Amino acid sequence: MQCSRVRDEALAAEKMDVLYGEADAGVRARVATHLGECPACREEMEVLQKVRRDLGAWTLDERREPVVVGQRRGLPRWLAAAVVVLAVGTGLALWGQVSLRREIETQRAHALERERVQREELAALRAEMARGPRGVDAAALLSGVDERLEERIRRSDQRQDRRLDESLAEWSARSEAQRRVDLARIAAGLSYLDGRHGQQLARTNELMGYVLDTAAEKGAPR
Amino acid sequence: MGRSDEELVEACLSGEASAFDVLVARWEDKIRGAAIRILGSDEEARDVAQEAFLKAYRALPGFKREARFSSWLYQIAVNLCRDRLRRRRGRTVLSLEALEQTGLVLVSREPGAHELVQRLDLRRAVHRAIAGLSEEQREVLILKEYQGLTFLEIAQALEIPLSTVKTRLYRGLGQLRLLLEEDGIRGAASMPAGAPRGASAQ
Repeated sequence: MQCSRVRDEALAAEKMDVLYGEADAGVRARVATHLGECPACREEMEVLQKVRRDLGAWTLDERREPVVVGQRRGLPRWLAAAVVVLAVGTGLALWGQVSLRREIETQRAHALERERVQREELAALRAEMARGPRGVDAAALLSGVDERLEERIRRSDQRQDRRLDESLAEWSARSEAQRRVDLARIAAGLSYLDGRHGQQLARTNELMGYVLDTAAEKGAPR
Repeated sequence: MGRSDEELVEACLSGEASAFDVLVARWEDKIRGAAIRILGSDEEARDVAQEAFLKAYRALPGFKREARFSSWLYQIAVNLCRDRLRRRRGRTVLSLEALEQTGLVLVSREPGAHELVQRLDLRRAVHRAIAGLSEEQREVLILKEYQGLTFLEIAQALEIPLSTVKTRLYRGLGQLRLLLEEDGIRGAASMPAGAPRGASAQ
């Protein structure tokens, strides 16, 4: 079915007024009357409203640099991007170093504390044995106790060393993963310098962020 | 309540240079947004916006109060966009790739995978459809649909009759509907017999 006024540009203009809410009462009434009589135009208006809704999906990213009138841009975008990439990389590397150092210090403090407790226990046992009943070979008993306690301390030290080694290995692996991600970020920054578009850089950074998160999750201490 | 554009123009002409900064801050996003959509390039749009404000500043003494300042500003920006499009002649005016690289994104509210795919399809279809419009239709559609100008303001900005604005928009929407339908966008529906196909109103 075709509208009998298909070439009526005045009607087309009035339909636009109605579609965009700029029609006065007279125009609204005229268009409504026509739509009431013309299924083709009624359907057309419905479809045009749908098209307008579809167009609404196209929005602009608000994160844009402000326009500066009458001045050249202060810092070239490629340089700003490179500075940001390097700053982020350096920050992450420093953060990794600080975290590693903190972890080692914590492990060392725990080991010292355990050793102190064991030495106190040994001293207390020695004192008690010295006050023990006659007829008991205190020296031999103490010697046996000493051996067992020394063995315990030795095993404890080994455990601490092993844990420290594992911790160091884990943090080294994380640092290596971090270093690779940083290198990838810097590579992305350099590719920007080679003329790749900023949007690609943003996407690469986003991907690298995902890689970083994944690496952090996999490498996280259990 | 801030001063109106026209009051700021008067202030600027009276020697208050900072008044123009207020106008720039007020309109830069809109001017640049229009330029991005017309040119398909954020970088070029930024240059156009900067150039438009510079040109407006220099031409301010000759600004006729018959039109609104914003319409006049859009007029300058659209003309600058046209110049750039003319210089690019022979190249794709509004490529999908360029559009996808200009920070043109969909509104996101934690969509599911299915919804995300649908939005991606819609975005691509909208890009292709807008790229398929004539330059005249695209200008009118962008100023109306995305910049929210009234028909009168568009007529002033483009220096064309009011009726031409409306018929260009009508035909542009008809064309968009067809292009979206070709891309399989639901609801773009069947083409009513009375709808126009693509031709410019002028």
